[in-house]
Amino acid sequence: MKFSQLILKNPFRNKIRSVLAIIGIAIGIATIVALGVITEGLKESTQETLRAGGADFTILESNTSGMLQSTINEDYVDKVDNISGVKESVGVLTSVQPIKDNPYFIVIGIDPSRIGLSQIKIKSGRSIKTPDEIIIGKVAAERLNKTIGDKISIKGENYKIVGIFESGNIQEDSGAFMSLKRLQEIEGKKGKVSMIYVKAEKNANIEKIREQIEKKYGENLTTIASLEDLQSANQGIKTVDAASWAISLLAIIIGGIGVVNTMIMSVFERTREIGVLKAVGWKNRRILTMILGESLILTLIAAIVGSLMGVAAIQILMHINMGGFIKPVYTPEIFLKAFTVAIFVGILGGFYPAYRATRLEATEALRYE
Amino acid sequence: MIIDIKNLKKAFDNGKIVALDGVNLQVDEGEFISIMGPSGSGKSTLLNMIGALDRPDSGMIKVAGRDLMKEKNLSSFRAREIGFIFQLHNLIPNLTVLENVEIPMFEGPYKDNMDERAMELLEYLGLADKADRKPSELSGGERQRVAIARALANDPSIILADEPTGSLDSKTEKRILEKLKELNREHDVTIVLVTHDPRVASMASRIIKILDGKIVGG
Repeated sequence: MKFSQLILKNPFRNKIRSVLAIIGIAIGIATIVALGVITEGLKESTQETLRAGGADFTILESNTSGMLQSTINEDYVDKVDNISGVKESVGVLTSVQPIKDNPYFIVIGIDPSRIGLSQIKIKSGRSIKTPDEIIIGKVAAERLNKTIGDKISIKGENYKIVGIFESGNIQEDSGAFMSLKRLQEIEGKKGKVSMIYVKAEKNANIEKIREQIEKKYGENLTTIASLEDLQSANQGIKTVDAASWAISLLAIIIGGIGVVNTMIMSVFERTREIGVLKAVGWKNRRILTMILGESLILTLIAAIVGSLMGVAAIQILMHINMGGFIKPVYTPEIFLKAFTVAIFVGILGGFYPAYRATRLEATEALRYE
Repeated sequence: MIIDIKNLKKAFDNGKIVALDGVNLQVDEGEFISIMGPSGSGKSTLLNMIGALDRPDSGMIKVAGRDLMKEKNLSSFRAREIGFIFQLHNLIPNLTVLENVEIPMFEGPYKDNMDERAMELLEYLGLADKADRKPSELSGGERQRVAIARALANDPSIILADEPTGSLDSKTEKRILEKLKELNREHDVTIVLVTHDPRVASMASRIIKILDGKIVGG
């Protein structure tokens, strides 16, 4: 018999208790995995929005809490256009419209002649030309079961679908593009846009352009070239990140208490047996290793079960309704984090019970009934 | 002399309960002795001292050439020199008979060929066909024979048996005691057996009587 075999056998002597402990930790791990996948997805789709098509950077209202909340006067588009080095800029208005059973249908208003600055590719049909026309993303087309020639109703008015596009950004692909002027009317935001996509001249120094804009209009505008820039302006992702860590910490604490409890019970029940191990000459270090090993086995199984549960939860969420909202992004780091947490909980939760086992007096333990 | 004890004292509960009150005992290598006395006489405490499960308060105790008052690595002393047999077999319920016999070997000379050594011992005790059974599938006498095999695992110089037949019927008791005797006779293992039963004690070549923590005869 190998020592590792002995360690593997012990956690399943009381199956129900071990399974309960494993489920407890697995739920925490599943939460960590699911939140990680959602956070990564959120980061990636935000990143994609910023890197719209040919745009080198994006302008948002300064001190805004997010892209959907940002409001900029449309005349800034021309002002930005006049800054040296800027080749082209376009203002877009982002709005959320309830469509059928989807309350989060994102409609983006853009000048039809400058639609090239967004990253969309027309898959079938053509782009918009008049204010009565709309193009929808391929995910939206599937969900709404609409195609070219069909009508879509926004705020009681019908718009004709003239094309279906694909952008790779899940939020855009499950939304639509229409004329900026019309969307401003619908939203009551005449002369306002949410953000400005800016394309620089070839060989122009993008950082210099951004500096100029910040210097001239810094009071009202902020330029964003990457997610890192956005995080200073956008508390949203920071909050999700912080919440994700807080929940992870909670999972560690709750899981840890479960492990401590399970292992203390297990050591308590085996008092006499530990006395025997001492009597036959086992070193304290071996007893400590055995109990810690048992604790680690519990948490490692929980890590595997929890990861599967987390992925399953995300798949179910995607299936229900969130599909158009968040694209799940699985990275190795998420699972690495889950397993690190599990190992941490296993060692932390197993240490005290293991220490107690080594402190047992052999003669007392052998007398224990 | 394999066990040499002089003026050994041990008290519990801050000195309120005197378990050993100046014990002197010498045992030669290859002897089979029994320590007899009523419950509370200190006989189990004395056995625990010889097996280094507990430290004396004062006096001198040397076992298998080691001074247990000074010895630092008591667990390794137990693993190499001592084989314990308890009144209750104390086998680990989720392990097979074979695995139970192997438990002490993790700290001993046979750790690289455990299965071989354990099978050898089980054959010696007539339990080879039970190697893969769980303790719960065995009779009381069989379990105690497994416990003997476990005590022999690391080839100890001394077997310490604390009421080894206390929970067995008289027929099984006789067989177990005969096995211990055979072990002592044929393999030259020193045996110290603790009992309150004069019939069991009479199996030994020497009987030590203990009362109120003192040796009173033998």
